[in-house]
Amino acid sequence: MILEGRPVAPGRGEGRALASAKPMSFLGGVDRETGVVTDPTSDIRGENVLGRVLSFPHGKGSTVGSYVLYGLAKRGRGPAGIVNERTEAIVATGAILGGIPLVDGIDVSLLRTGDRAIVDGDAGVVALPDVAERRVVTAFLRNKGRVLIVKRGPRVKTFRGAWSGISGYIEGLEPPLWRARKEVLEETEIEAARLVARGAVIRTRHESTVFAIHPFLFEVGSRKVTLDWENVEARWVRPEELSRFRPTVPRLDDVLVSVWLPPTSGGRRPGRPPSQGGGAGARRGSRGSRRTGGSRRASRPGPGGPARAAAP
Amino acid sequence: MRLAPRHKALRDRGTGAQRTSMRLLVALGEIYGADRLIPVTSAHIAGASYKMVGDPGLEFIEDFARDATVSIPATVNPLGMDLDRWREQGIPEEFAAKQRRIAEAYRRMGVLPSFSCTPYLIGLRPKRGEHVAWAESSAACFANSVLGARTNREGGPSALASAVTGVTPNYGLHLDENRRATAVVDVRARVRGFGFSLLGLHVGRELGGGVPYFRGIRGTESDLKWLSASIAATGDVAMFHVDRVTREWRAARPKGLPRLTVTDRDLRAIQREYTTGTDADIIGLGSPQLSSEELREVATLVGRHRPRIPVWVFASRSARDAAADAVARIEGLGGRVFVDTCLEVTMIENVSQTVATPSGKGAVYLPTLCGQKVIMDEVERLFRRYAS
Repeated sequence: MILEGRPVAPGRGEGRALASAKPMSFLGGVDRETGVVTDPTSDIRGENVLGRVLSFPHGKGSTVGSYVLYGLAKRGRGPAGIVNERTEAIVATGAILGGIPLVDGIDVSLLRTGDRAIVDGDAGVVALPDVAERRVVTAFLRNKGRVLIVKRGPRVKTFRGAWSGISGYIEGLEPPLWRARKEVLEETEIEAARLVARGAVIRTRHESTVFAIHPFLFEVGSRKVTLDWENVEARWVRPEELSRFRPTVPRLDDVLVSVWLPPTSGGRRPGRPPSQGGGAGARRGSRGSRRTGGSRRASRPGPGGPARAAAP
Repeated sequence: MRLAPRHKALRDRGTGAQRTSMRLLVALGEIYGADRLIPVTSAHIAGASYKMVGDPGLEFIEDFARDATVSIPATVNPLGMDLDRWREQGIPEEFAAKQRRIAEAYRRMGVLPSFSCTPYLIGLRPKRGEHVAWAESSAACFANSVLGARTNREGGPSALASAVTGVTPNYGLHLDENRRATAVVDVRARVRGFGFSLLGLHVGRELGGGVPYFRGIRGTESDLKWLSASIAATGDVAMFHVDRVTREWRAARPKGLPRLTVTDRDLRAIQREYTTGTDADIIGLGSPQLSSEELREVATLVGRHRPRIPVWVFASRSARDAAADAVARIEGLGGRVFVDTCLEVTMIENVSQTVATPSGKGAVYLPTLCGQKVIMDEVERLFRRYAS
């Protein structure tokens, strides 16, 4: 697949990815003679940057780090290319001084150490030839401030036993919204779903696949859900309760945040959306109260009955 | 970012140094959202002390100097030693040799060998509205605030790139809208002399960044120099306004901004906090380097109090030469006036473990860069304390 970013330093570099999730310091963090990562706090400590496509969120530390990158490149010990989420001056300067291709604006969590990667610093793209992108929809249904989550059953191919929204693969050139409606109907048998919001695409890496998730939020008038074979349990939860349902499919919290808008009129406030990335509160929740329900009461009607929710 | 044909020509067909410089400025411009490159009238380069840049910096600067020539007036920050008197500073031979190579490389590029953190005291005084590219946080802050010139807080390589190409990306403090105040600082304390260093330390840390608008102070140019240095040491601050004093206070628009009130108590607290030592080995005066007037004041104090511990004073060559009588007096009474270098970028750790200094910037960096404990106080009180 091709990841589109922004060109920072020109040139084209190809190699196996060396992926770090942490900000990188080059002065004192990478040996200028050998290219070995020496920073004891780094998650790629002991690895060698030589010939690799080095990915990390952004630089940190001393500005002398620019000269370290330059020195590595000059000795032929530098990385083949650099991929950043948000390049700052230290790394940009070092890459340009050293002639190392650099692209930023890339979600570096999509790269894995060992991936074949090509950095095109002129076009501002990163190619991962062995990684395929699959487009999927994730739809949340909302009713009176609660959203529907479902637990994936044993017969689905991925993320068995994980909590999810209503989801499915987008096929061919079909519009994502069309697919979302189709999945809602198949997986819940709810026909009357009114689109409330759609979020920007969220990507997540799983093995050699990147899922490009198209988030949707629908308002539904009833909490009556009839599950199909894909899911084994359904719950109507307040958004802040989502942290209690683990495991989830990757980035489910982010997907919900991307579409969760408080109603503009009528009804109670639905409560705050879950914090992104699971803050302290979220973590406390997941350890604390484990729900013992496990019930398959998938068709519990909501307190407001089947009446259609008020239009915002 | 849009590039003019002459800038594209430099990027694509210039010398190696010009191409690298142009690429660097364009990349930084893209990162910071600049629309174009604008001409600058001077550059002040940081990254000259071997202690600070080490072998990686030495290597780059020497390589770059092979085909680089500056195209506008350019000055450079202090080195790690006095080029003539480094032995007195306890500098090892190997350090001195590498330091001389860095100094030589800058000379070869046509950089004025000022080795000073106070370019504005040695004749580089851009006028109001003039665009420059200055590294050295204290000098950039002084240029914006006191002179009304326009510069971002450049890094060493970007200032060097501007020196070579004569341009800088147009963003940040080059634009009117980013020069307006972002917070009001009401000073409810009598701030004079040394107090400006304390005020800077406190406000820089409290605000973290932005463009503070001070009310309730009046300061000389020297006071504002110390304020610039200390506020830039604890905060990402490259410009401030002083009500009715600085060049652009009328354009600052302080109405309705968040407010910070500073009292004597805050200033005493920050002084206590940065005072980490109990017994000084040396009195260190600099950071930034002293002006010729300040050298004369120090000469008077040295004469009055005859300190019993070593006194190291840091100044530019031009300030030293302009105050030769004062320098002779300080030296005659056992003090040392070093040039080409400054308080924390030299190896003061070779002769001291605890430094007494009135410099706010020194108090911030001496512990981290030199492993020093610090006694921070007003200069005359320090001399009195260590009088013989």
